[in-house]
Amino acid sequence: MPLAIADQGKEYTIRKIGGNAETRQHLADLGFTAGAVVSVVNEAAGNLIVNIRNTRVGIGKDLAMKIMI
Amino acid sequence: MADSKITIALAGNPNSGKTTLFNSLTGSNQFVGNWPGVTVEKKEGKLKGNKDVLIEDLPGIYSLSPYTSEEVVSRNFLVDENPDAILNIVDSTNLERNLYLTTQLLELGIPTVIALNMTDLVEKSGDNIDTKKLSERLGVQMAEISALKGTGIDEASKLAVNAAQSKKAPKPAVFSKDVEDALREIEGLLVNVPEHLKRWYAVKLFERDQKLPENIAAYASQAEAIITKIETAHDDDSESIITNERYEYIASVLNGCYGKKKAGELSTSDKIDQIVTNRWLALPIFAAVMWLVYYISVTTIGTFVTDWTNDGLFGDGYYLFGNGRAEYTEAMNEYYTENVWTDEVKANVDKAVEAGITGADDIQAAIADGDYEAFDEAYGFYGSELDEKENGVYSISDTVDTALAEDAPLPANEDYGKWVPGIPVLVENLLDGMGVNDFIKSLVLDGIVAGVGAVLGFVPQMFVLFAFLAFLEACGYMARVAFVMDRIFRRFGLSGKSFIPVLIGTGCGVPGVMASRTIENERDRRMTVMTTTFIPCGAKLPIIALIASALFRKASWVAPSAYFLGMAAIIISGIILKKTKMFAGEPAPFVMELPAYHWPTLTNILRSMWERGWSFIKKAGSIILLSSIVIWLGSTFGWTDGSFGWNPDLELESSVLGAIGNAVKWIFAPLGFAEIKATIATVMGLVAKEEVVGVFGVLDFEGLSKLAGYSFLAFNLLCAPCFAAIGAIRREMNSAKWTWFAIGWQCLLAYIAAFIIYQLGSLFTGTGNIIGGILAIALCALIIWLMVRPYNESQTAKA
Repeated sequence: MPLAIADQGKEYTIRKIGGNAETRQHLADLGFTAGAVVSVVNEAAGNLIVNIRNTRVGIGKDLAMKIMI
Repeated sequence: MADSKITIALAGNPNSGKTTLFNSLTGSNQFVGNWPGVTVEKKEGKLKGNKDVLIEDLPGIYSLSPYTSEEVVSRNFLVDENPDAILNIVDSTNLERNLYLTTQLLELGIPTVIALNMTDLVEKSGDNIDTKKLSERLGVQMAEISALKGTGIDEASKLAVNAAQSKKAPKPAVFSKDVEDALREIEGLLVNVPEHLKRWYAVKLFERDQKLPENIAAYASQAEAIITKIETAHDDDSESIITNERYEYIASVLNGCYGKKKAGELSTSDKIDQIVTNRWLALPIFAAVMWLVYYISVTTIGTFVTDWTNDGLFGDGYYLFGNGRAEYTEAMNEYYTENVWTDEVKANVDKAVEAGITGADDIQAAIADGDYEAFDEAYGFYGSELDEKENGVYSISDTVDTALAEDAPLPANEDYGKWVPGIPVLVENLLDGMGVNDFIKSLVLDGIVAGVGAVLGFVPQMFVLFAFLAFLEACGYMARVAFVMDRIFRRFGLSGKSFIPVLIGTGCGVPGVMASRTIENERDRRMTVMTTTFIPCGAKLPIIALIASALFRKASWVAPSAYFLGMAAIIISGIILKKTKMFAGEPAPFVMELPAYHWPTLTNILRSMWERGWSFIKKAGSIILLSSIVIWLGSTFGWTDGSFGWNPDLELESSVLGAIGNAVKWIFAPLGFAEIKATIATVMGLVAKEEVVGVFGVLDFEGLSKLAGYSFLAFNLLCAPCFAAIGAIRREMNSAKWTWFAIGWQCLLAYIAAFIIYQLGSLFTGTGNIIGGILAIALCALIIWLMVRPYNESQTAKA
């Protein structure tokens, strides 16, 4: 399922990241890669704050739809 | 600098403490510029205590991929300039992601040293790092530092200098065996490539990097077979293979050196975020924070210091440390009670109040309070109003003028404390002493000192505001603001990141426009640059205050309405422009690191404040100085009794400036202010917005109705910004065409907004004309149509 609908506070493993090459690379640079553990810390009307590799990243809903967990 | 013997590049993630480390390494020996061709800031400085070492501060980056201009600038520097060493700052609270960049830096064949920052925080949170083991496994020397506390920095710089002298670069084997073999095979293909760069280019060829120099890109077809073989074996594309293996390598390196306490616990920062970015609380909290920032910088500290600058430093003078101010005020109040507020004056003012003459009540209140400063202000504003009404029966000017004449026995400033004369007074004395002629004296005093002084008067307020904004940026809150605003801005075709430039633009448009650099997507950045200056900047506040007090009796809705107008212009522009071909396409998806909240260092805040403030002062010293002289020439050359010449006491109407204003004032007729002074003020606003105020005395608005006054305000707030900000737009757009487009858009929007306000307003008050009203309604309809029409991209493929 996409990260956008994940439960808050639960840990998930990223399985696949969609989107174009540029977006994928940018996400990878911030630590979003297949196999990485991710959890949603907070949600604000669709935009998410996620914990990835011990950093907090704010991520838009559209992008969170492309990260499959 | 060519005379330095060793160059060390400072590289690291954003928010890793790089700026703080750079500041402690170089102290004040810094040079700030731009990387050639792009608007990425370039900073370099000489190492403190060793002038032979030059520290080159690379932009904060997450990787060396070719996607953002920061990354491209960094890798070009590292490849082309071949620095002697890299000092890689690594935030130990985010080891995995920070080391991801490290693995890429190590491929460049440059001696590298790691400065492990914030190890104290890691230990505090109960985790631990075995630095020695980590250093051995990576094959890189490490120094534990705290950039914030300034510890370990000498050791880090010593290690970096030693590494540079040793010329030995670490070469860790990062990837799995088959990938390593493939890379070595590609390396084998490369001829005429410097030995130390072979690994770097092999990896980039493997990733099918699109930004390689031609001689390297030529090998792409030869490498293709090797790459596809690996891709088939891994069932993944080559770029992802490299990325994943980097993270796997990091995980294996960290295994056993990095003990982590229980995961999944909420940090303090997370708890703050649950409140600050909460769906319901986020906006009220943001509003409260901004209100506080403005309240402090504009109405308290800012006003206090600005008054001192305007009235003291660039006025008559001031008391050193304020000693003597109270005694002098008391003496002045006594003098006014005895000599100015005579029974006759009081009676006239009372009569004027009864007759309901504008401002008479302010004068009456000042007399009742025995406050000479309030009286001076009210009399300055409204005194002539009393003179003119009923043929001067309420006039108090004879008494006041006699009592305050130059030879009147007024209390002298010097008698009450250590009085420091203001710059104009000092300059005047100096010029008198030199015996220069009137022309030069007027040029220096009325042109240069008055013009530049008026602008510099806003500097203190701006500095206070910049200090607050720097604090909000450095503590991590600004990133949250972008995050919270994104969901609102996205509806208007802008990214949340566009909000930060707007926020900084409330202080000054120049750093505001410059702050748009953090927006990666070019379309979004251009749009932000075009719209940022719609928000009233610090220099537009006096215009708002002027109109509010002259026409609306200081009504409290005028100032908020100006901000509302600015925001509306940004939003409407966003929606309309997004539907044109030029800007079609979704705003780039929002993804942004939210650094943990922390207290910033005072030095960092002061430095940021100084950099932004100083760039403004430099503008005041160049563009504004030149323009002040031109305006002074225009207003002192003109026609006296039919003959052209120089005359310092020229009426504005008979000056060259007046003639120009007269010739072009028709442009503003549909907006309701086809008046010489309003026209000149608008033109002068291009130089610096606060110059608008300089042209007007309050009662010069007599010719203007309230509606025309508000239309004048709307036009001046929204039209092209001052020259300094236009210069900033030109730099950020990096294109003359786009700069003109931005200015054209701003002026057009301003004209239409003022037109609609004036024409529709006139229609409602029953003074309008039909044609204007119809046109205004048609324009409204056009704007609404432009806003609701379908997105351009819906016909084509989604960008």
